[in-house]
Amino acid sequence: MSDERVNVKAPPVQSNGEGGTTSAGGEKIPPARRLLPDMRRRKRQYEIFTFRRLISPFAILPCVALIAIVWFLADYAWPAVKLNGWKFITSNSWDLGSMYANPVMKNGQMLLPGAHYGILFLIAGTLLSTAIAVAIALPLGVGSAMFLAEGVPGQARTWISFFVEMLAAVPSVVFGLWGYAVVIPFLGQHVFPWMSVHLGWVPYLGGPTGSGYGLLTSGLVLTLMIVPLIAATVRDAIVNQPIGLREAALALGATRFETLWKVLLPEVRKVTIASTILATGRALGETMAVLMVGGGALNYLPSNIYSPITTMAAFIVSQLDSAMEDPTGMAVRALAEVALVLCVISVIVNGGARLLLYWGNRAGATTWV
Amino acid sequence: MSLVRNAARVPKRRSMIRGLAFTLAFAATALFGARAVMAAQSVNILETGSSLLYPLFNLWVPVYANVHPGVKITTQSTGSGTGISQSTEGLAQIGASDAYLSDALMRKYPTMLNIPTAISMQMVNYNLPGLNHLHLKLSGPVIAGIYQGKITNWNDPAIRAMNPGVKLPNHSIIPIHRSDGSGDTFIFTQYLAFSTPDWANSLSYGTTVSWPPVSGGLGAVGNPGMVTALKGNPYSLAYIGTSYEDAIEKAGMGTARLKNRDGNFVLPTAATAMAAANEMVPKTPKDERISLIFAPGAQSYPIINYEYALVNSRQPSSDLASALRSLLEWGISKNGGNAPRFMTEVHFVALPPSVVQLSKAQIAEIH
Amino acid sequence: MGMTAEEIRNAIRQPRPLAAWRRRIFNWLGWGVTGLTFAVLAAAMVWILEMVFARGAGALNWQVLSSVTLGLGGGLLQAIEGTAVLALGGTLLAIPPGIAAGIYLSEYPRGPVAPVIRFLTDVLVGVPSIVVGYFAYVTMVDGLGWKFSVAAGSIALAIIAVPYIVRTSEVAIRGVPNAVREAGYGLGVTPGTVIMRICLPMALPSIMTGVLLALAIGVGETAPLIYTAGWSTYMWTGHLTNEPIGYLTYAIWSFITEPADSAHALAYAAAFLVTFFVLIISVSARFVLNRRAGWSQSR
Repeated sequence: MSDERVNVKAPPVQSNGEGGTTSAGGEKIPPARRLLPDMRRRKRQYEIFTFRRLISPFAILPCVALIAIVWFLADYAWPAVKLNGWKFITSNSWDLGSMYANPVMKNGQMLLPGAHYGILFLIAGTLLSTAIAVAIALPLGVGSAMFLAEGVPGQARTWISFFVEMLAAVPSVVFGLWGYAVVIPFLGQHVFPWMSVHLGWVPYLGGPTGSGYGLLTSGLVLTLMIVPLIAATVRDAIVNQPIGLREAALALGATRFETLWKVLLPEVRKVTIASTILATGRALGETMAVLMVGGGALNYLPSNIYSPITTMAAFIVSQLDSAMEDPTGMAVRALAEVALVLCVISVIVNGGARLLLYWGNRAGATTWV
Repeated sequence: MSLVRNAARVPKRRSMIRGLAFTLAFAATALFGARAVMAAQSVNILETGSSLLYPLFNLWVPVYANVHPGVKITTQSTGSGTGISQSTEGLAQIGASDAYLSDALMRKYPTMLNIPTAISMQMVNYNLPGLNHLHLKLSGPVIAGIYQGKITNWNDPAIRAMNPGVKLPNHSIIPIHRSDGSGDTFIFTQYLAFSTPDWANSLSYGTTVSWPPVSGGLGAVGNPGMVTALKGNPYSLAYIGTSYEDAIEKAGMGTARLKNRDGNFVLPTAATAMAAANEMVPKTPKDERISLIFAPGAQSYPIINYEYALVNSRQPSSDLASALRSLLEWGISKNGGNAPRFMTEVHFVALPPSVVQLSKAQIAEIH
Repeated sequence: MGMTAEEIRNAIRQPRPLAAWRRRIFNWLGWGVTGLTFAVLAAAMVWILEMVFARGAGALNWQVLSSVTLGLGGGLLQAIEGTAVLALGGTLLAIPPGIAAGIYLSEYPRGPVAPVIRFLTDVLVGVPSIVVGYFAYVTMVDGLGWKFSVAAGSIALAIIAVPYIVRTSEVAIRGVPNAVREAGYGLGVTPGTVIMRICLPMALPSIMTGVLLALAIGVGETAPLIYTAGWSTYMWTGHLTNEPIGYLTYAIWSFITEPADSAHALAYAAAFLVTFFVLIISVSARFVLNRRAGWSQSR
């Protein structure tokens, strides 16, 4: 602490006319002059380079990155946006055109003949797989959160919650590997045929079951990726509820489960909804897992729950190199438009969830996701 | 109290952090320095692209690296589309592709060279329980009809007419196509386009085509993906390169006889490939961009192609250029990469001498 | 006017208490269902981890850890090094902006700037990693001519990881008791020095959690690296641009589809290593947080 440089204001001095001063206590104080250059320099530094100004450029770097990404995407995809119009998201044909024919002029753009970009099937694949994932993950997550918060005896509680959070740390490509190597053979050969026969009366659950790659498998793998998020957040929110609330309910004669169900859960409703929306955002942007188990559909909508699908994120990965073969460069811009649509959807979903979390976060979750 | 104690600890922690930082910086510099020195003496070559050519390149690299230790060759199986795009963009030094560059791409990247390294073939495989050993006969128009969704059942009259006496099952056909940018798609769709005017007018050919949505149709990534998809889906049909013939045999899948231009049904063998090559090779132009598909000749196999190494003739450094030249020259020579032991393992055919000359001329342009 | 006597009686009548047996069934069902959901979750987790560790450990041997990849066989040494380089690079690049933003948000929360930074940083979390990878590919790999490089890969990872560091450091620095700050001001310390020399060291354990989280993200990411880092089967030579580098997650997604058994073994071994590293990092982050948790709660 003794080597700390501190900016000490000079004590009040009384000039005695000789260049020296006397303090109030009568001791001799060196001439104020010697302090002055120091003080002047420091005062200048302080005025221009405030700490706030020093760190501001670094602090806004994340924002600059985001704005750069969105601006770049919009700018790069603009020719494709102009060319495609609304048909981009309403039509079902992604066609790079005749790759070995000569480019022609169409609508003011050089294009390969027959080039046409419509991604309805991608939007359907993304939204449907996410919808299935969230529909299963919500009850699974909330139920597990309830069990983790109240149902597990104290000692085991920290270890088991920790175990659940570990699942959130597993990388998505490992989920994809598990899906490809283990889940698909199991589902494709045993579960799906059984389901199609016995549950075939349910709409979309009957019909050809394919080989295991498809919408339901993607949904299930995505479920497993987002359940820990929901479970951990909701569990933390329940645990952080004021103990008075719990005691009041118990005092009125409620059982532990009834306290959970009728008192605590409604309290954490906002957090539950917010974390579900955040989980949705994560599922929307998920790439590798769906790439490995989705089946790679092109230009058709799934006819039942076992049909192959492609999501926007997986499509970008698998089609970028093909798109780069387009000598007119329009295919890459159309792919940038896909990325832009995906980015916009994810940003809206995540932004909405954040706002909800801010408003609802009183006693709430300390677990950020 | 605890604040004071911890405040007193700050100098010690700070000096520890300083010490750690210095050690790390020193170690990093030492490592960098050593590496940079080593790096100056070696050349990095990234080969990416065709999954059909990949097995051959993987056989070449250990043998070549033994003789040329300063050259580091990384191979990747990513599909010809990636080979084309990354070699033209300069991201990879060698783009392996079953497809030559289109006219438009050659205009955009005039310094690219399409250098054949071998002649390969493509099989049309099917998975019909009980019939896989029979070598069903199929023709271009029939296959085109299947992939367009016009022929949907295995016991369709068109298929039955071609295979008299074969008990074809009453089951819908599952056509499998490549979803990545693929040279196999290129040569397959060329066969369909050259033999079926209807296909030529609607879908044409390319490394990516807009496959008509057929109920049950599947997309697979890479030749290995095609093999896996074929194995996993009875009653399916797929197009797979001959370097995966062993995998197909091991899986017990069927290989079809294809109808060639002269009307005969032939299997993909070295003999039928040579027959087709003999017809088409003399027509090879100087830039070696030519399709060998649907060759005339009684015994010609209809789907054969040059395996191209796409290389930019302008390289950033002369070391890299000479390394590429020596690698490619070794690759096309009968004592090096085109030796029988390599060719038979991947079921390719060696380049005829006239083509070797043409390739040598192109390789010499790399500088 | 008012209501009839009947209506008034109905309005103030208390609901009949639930029959005891109904409540008992409800409770049993409730615990049963929640227990079931947890059992399903736990079973799936065990299934995944069992696959990774059983098949991965089976494929792991000294050769895998000590030699480089040769085509579809060999080892994973260069991939391990590449993952370490990329993850460390990304984390190191993300730390200065992350901590600076965290400091800014906790120290200067008033005014127009802080809410904007906070909101935009949170939006950045929602950008899919493939979009960041695509952006890095077109601007850095192609536009700046870096080709496949450690620089492009690290920057992409840094962009993905920085929001997590921002959030943890904001919470950490805000958790430093005001009394300590005021003590500093009282001694005449400038605000900057208070933050850097007093608050930051005190908040360091929590910030380390965020840094470790960023490291875990860097180890596990695949999509952005496919188009920025490329792939290499040789050890890194120290070049930041114009040299592709290998990484473990590539081996996972690319080798599992190859027909060779050696490729599958490498894929499982890589999955084991990646999962193992990520779990170790998460455990460490937990421990660091728990050991110093008492700090911010002490007055």
